Amino acid sequence: MNYNLKIGALDLAVECTLNDNGTVSASVGEQNYEVRYRVISENQIHLDLGDSTVNVFLADDPMGRIVNIGGISFLVQDADALAQNNVRKKGRKDLPQEVTPPMPSAVVRVLVSEGDHVKKGQGVIVVSAMKMETTLVAPFAGHVTKINVAEGDKAMPGDVLVDIEKDEEGPAEDS
Amino acid sequence: MFDKILIANRGEIAVRIIATCREMGIRTVAVYSDADADALHVLEADQAVCLGPSEPAQSYLNVDKIVAAAKETGARAIHPGYGFLAENPAFAQRCDEEGLVFIGPPAQAIRDLGDKTVARRTMIESGVPVIPGMMSPESDPAKLAAEADRIGYPVLIKAAAGGGGKGMRVVRSSDEFSDACESAKREAHSAFGNGDIYLEKYLEQPRHVEFQILADTHGNVIHLLERECSIQRRHQKIIEETPSPALTPSLREEMGETAVSAAKAAGYVNAGTVEFLLDKDNRFYFLEVNTRLQVEHPITEMITGIDLVRQQIEIAAGKELTLSQEDITGTGHAIECRIYAEDPLNDFYPSPGKISYLREPRGPGIRSDCGVYSGYTVPVEYDPILAKLITFAATRQECIQRMIRALRDYAILGVLTPIPFLVDILSCEAFMKGETYTDFIDTHFKQWEPVIKDIDVVGLAYVIDQLSNRKIRTVSTLDEAEAYSPWQTLGNFRP
Repeated sequence: MNYNLKIGALDLAVECTLNDNGTVSASVGEQNYEVRYRVISENQIHLDLGDSTVNVFLADDPMGRIVNIGGISFLVQDADALAQNNVRKKGRKDLPQEVTPPMPSAVVRVLVSEGDHVKKGQGVIVVSAMKMETTLVAPFAGHVTKINVAEGDKAMPGDVLVDIEKDEEGPAEDS
Repeated sequence: MFDKILIANRGEIAVRIIATCREMGIRTVAVYSDADADALHVLEADQAVCLGPSEPAQSYLNVDKIVAAAKETGARAIHPGYGFLAENPAFAQRCDEEGLVFIGPPAQAIRDLGDKTVARRTMIESGVPVIPGMMSPESDPAKLAAEADRIGYPVLIKAAAGGGGKGMRVVRSSDEFSDACESAKREAHSAFGNGDIYLEKYLEQPRHVEFQILADTHGNVIHLLERECSIQRRHQKIIEETPSPALTPSLREEMGETAVSAAKAAGYVNAGTVEFLLDKDNRFYFLEVNTRLQVEHPITEMITGIDLVRQQIEIAAGKELTLSQEDITGTGHAIECRIYAEDPLNDFYPSPGKISYLREPRGPGIRSDCGVYSGYTVPVEYDPILAKLITFAATRQECIQRMIRALRDYAILGVLTPIPFLVDILSCEAFMKGETYTDFIDTHFKQWEPVIKDIDVVGLAYVIDQLSNRKIRTVSTLDEAEAYSPWQTLGNFRP
């Protein structure tokens, strides 16, 4: 299996084959790994990397999956699954109608300017929590009427960061 | 002794107090707000009373409701923990009037020591060294400027009613002075409803060294050695240790005796803390008395072997101290790290949310004073302290190594914590050498970012978890018919 992961601001390509004997053969970037693994619980796996072992703790998060190693939590997202979700969500009625962060965050980059026309699903703003960057997207096609934050600002869930005025006509991009 | 104690607090400190009460055979009553119905202290107590809405004024700060809860449940004494009503003289007095025992100092001592200028006057009168500064608060800018010149720059502006660093400003020259005064006044006014400020000499590179005090109602006062709490971020302590790497036995004895004099001068009863600043030349100055059990009290318990909450309860019940100063000896070294739900990379912004998984570190010399559990949602309404991690070892070096190990073994998923930040502080050379001054964080960790290693392993772990979970699900479906489970075979043995 090939995975394109997003770990914070990092992109990581992982190729991985699960063998029958409880080991995996994997490559991460240029590096090859033979790892023996044990699933301890739904929140813990144990990895034997040959010269060292590591206990990894995992849990679901609204934004991805949290992977904790050595006291440090990482938010890991599957870039391919994210893309799929975006496609799937486009058809759903409960798509968020506002550009708001899912958790307390800091604004890293504003990708649009007032007056810009944005397509549905287009990235408009990048926020970060624990250096995990997430791109918030336009919920519908329209014009950016107001940008309510600047880079470095704090943002809480519910804060509307970018006002977008919806286009009159149907979202041609989606059909 | 009391049959039942009400704990007017929440979180880890309420849980910690309940533990001692239970050991003493005392029943406990927890109080909680709507936001805390599932909180750990509610689950641990013998009884729990809902105070009402989440706003502190309607719950944990509501004296009428807390007194009513004590009466209704038949609790004879109230332990206030730290924060909330712990240093509120009106609450202590109200308990008195209602025939309830407040487990803490008398209302008058809280009132006197809570007013920094009164406290300062009391200390000067009893020969306790204080930082050169003003005797009374002032609002006239011209008089303040004249005082600043008299004391000599740098000066520190402080709020008369304050604490926690609110309204504090360091001013290094006279041209910055009037602006700093105005902003300090505004901040003090919005934080405490009182914009009075005063000035004192600002000490460069001091250490924060405090002494634990125990005083009974029979006039006995002892100290339980020091704690150094110089590692602070914006005047909030984050790492505390004992003994202080800076104290010599003779300095410790001198400061301890001074702390006892300070407590006696204030008519102090119960557990308290006398805080000092210690300068580079080992001169020490009285800072303030905290009239409560401190957040960092566990490190004192670790090196002295004395349960401070038990002592508090016995003192409140009118018992005489069974310990004398000669009985107090410190063994080994203890460090505490405060674990908050906060984002160390986002200006330590609170990070409330659901703890999806929690694994506390374990092993020799590790104490976890934890107020949360796996599956618990950290509410946004209160101070985001989750837990305190305390390590204890024979030497300072071993204790640091143990704390680093314990922090790395601490898995808190779902909320962000400063654990990686704490590990880096403890691992840095200046900390190892004991060069701990109150400007430590600004000097060494102003711009901090974690060094990310093993990112490959993070990615591998994620992928293996995804693939193996899928495999487990497949396997369990396929093997269902053949699987051996006591629950399946049990049916055959039923008559």
